[in-house]
Amino acid sequence: MKPFLLWTAFLAGAFTLLAGESALVSASAASLPKVVLHAESIAPRSIEQRTGEMVTHNYAQAWQDLASCVEANRTDLLKDFFTGEAKTRLTHLVADQRKAGLRTHYEDHGHEVKAVFYSPDGGEMQLEDTAQLEMQVFDGQKMIYSSTSPHKYLVLMTPGADRWYVRSLESVGNDAF
Amino acid sequence: MHRILTPCIVLAVGLLAFAQDDVLHAPKTVTAGNSVSISTSGQGSATFYLLGPSRVAKRSVQLGQDITIAANDVASSGIYQAIACSSSCSSTVFQVLPAAPARLSFLLHPSRVPVSNGNAINATAFVFDRYRNTVLSSAKVDFHITLPDGPTMTRAGQTSRGITWFEMGSTPKQGRLQIVASIADANEPRVIQQVASDACHLHMTASPSGRTVKLETDPIRDCAGNPLPDGTIVSFTKIDNAGRSTVDTPIKKDKASAQFQLSGNARISVACGVALGNELSVGGGQ
Repeated sequence: MKPFLLWTAFLAGAFTLLAGESALVSASAASLPKVVLHAESIAPRSIEQRTGEMVTHNYAQAWQDLASCVEANRTDLLKDFFTGEAKTRLTHLVADQRKAGLRTHYEDHGHEVKAVFYSPDGGEMQLEDTAQLEMQVFDGQKMIYSSTSPHKYLVLMTPGADRWYVRSLESVGNDAF
Repeated sequence: MHRILTPCIVLAVGLLAFAQDDVLHAPKTVTAGNSVSISTSGQGSATFYLLGPSRVAKRSVQLGQDITIAANDVASSGIYQAIACSSSCSSTVFQVLPAAPARLSFLLHPSRVPVSNGNAINATAFVFDRYRNTVLSSAKVDFHITLPDGPTMTRAGQTSRGITWFEMGSTPKQGRLQIVASIADANEPRVIQQVASDACHLHMTASPSGRTVKLETDPIRDCAGNPLPDGTIVSFTKIDNAGRSTVDTPIKKDKASAQFQLSGNARISVACGVALGNELSVGGGQ
């Protein structure tokens, strides 16, 4: 399992490197946040290398979309990597932000993600994410809140036809894991 | 001097503007779906913001008075920021914890499974409160299992981070296997169809008549005695002077049958899936 950890860490780094090199090809790829997946203690099923790669990449893409969504208050940005309760909650959040004239800016400095549950049938994967996020909330042009402390999330991802979706994304206390 | 002072002033104003001082006093934790009272100090009007995982609220408040947050504004568990802005902004953070278990999401795989197959069935239950928050504290889920031949048994699972799971083998008898996952008032039934496994002791008999031979199997069952379903394909293969010939035919009423024209002596075999049956030698015209 150790090589896999190293491999995913390398992969996540590769995303960042790749983003810098292919800025002309894809502007969105340039801002993919760094995600490092640790899968040493996943149970009951071990994670396949290709699955680890997909989960890592898709989770990074989900966070990129989330950041764009709450910055621009656009729910259409949630359709590619969010589903279920996660999508519902973010849709409510954006509607409320738009109504109140607020927007949230995330500066994403990366995610240390620990895969803790992978169901025997391969249909669900639970992750613990410690995210290094700078969060700034604006009311119009006025910044009303700013935070740089780490955020912890309990995440449930489920596979679709060609990607893994974030089905649940719940912020939890610092003592949760 | 001016160049040094300007950033210092900006920094100082910034620190003042986002000071986390004692203007707002919120409880550290709240249970989801319960209204919250946040006390404030100071005087004058301010704009109050509540930033939660799925809700954002903004309204005018009077400092010095309590701010009541409605229950449905704190239905989602997670970290909330309460902010009051007048000339500067003050904030406090509180956590909304999931309420008691009230909902289940229950996944049972596969939908059909051959009998007597070890650990072929897996069940995963997710425990949520009434607001669809994952219940993080450990909770007990009961699984009531009703086997095809009638008996019922119960096994319990303790959740970890809202999830519990188990695997079990299918039982020898085909039919409907039901598992009901239960917690509090939530019951989620799921059904798996246990079907016959591979054919066992496949046997045919031949009835020659002139240059033809009629073949019929005995009732086709798996090793536990479950009849294979009608429609399962059985293959009869004949090798004689005319070469090799195969007839695929479905099981009808537990049996499969076929008829061949013979050209001299023939060897005939029968197979069903991975199971091979007996082989017969039949003489042409005998």
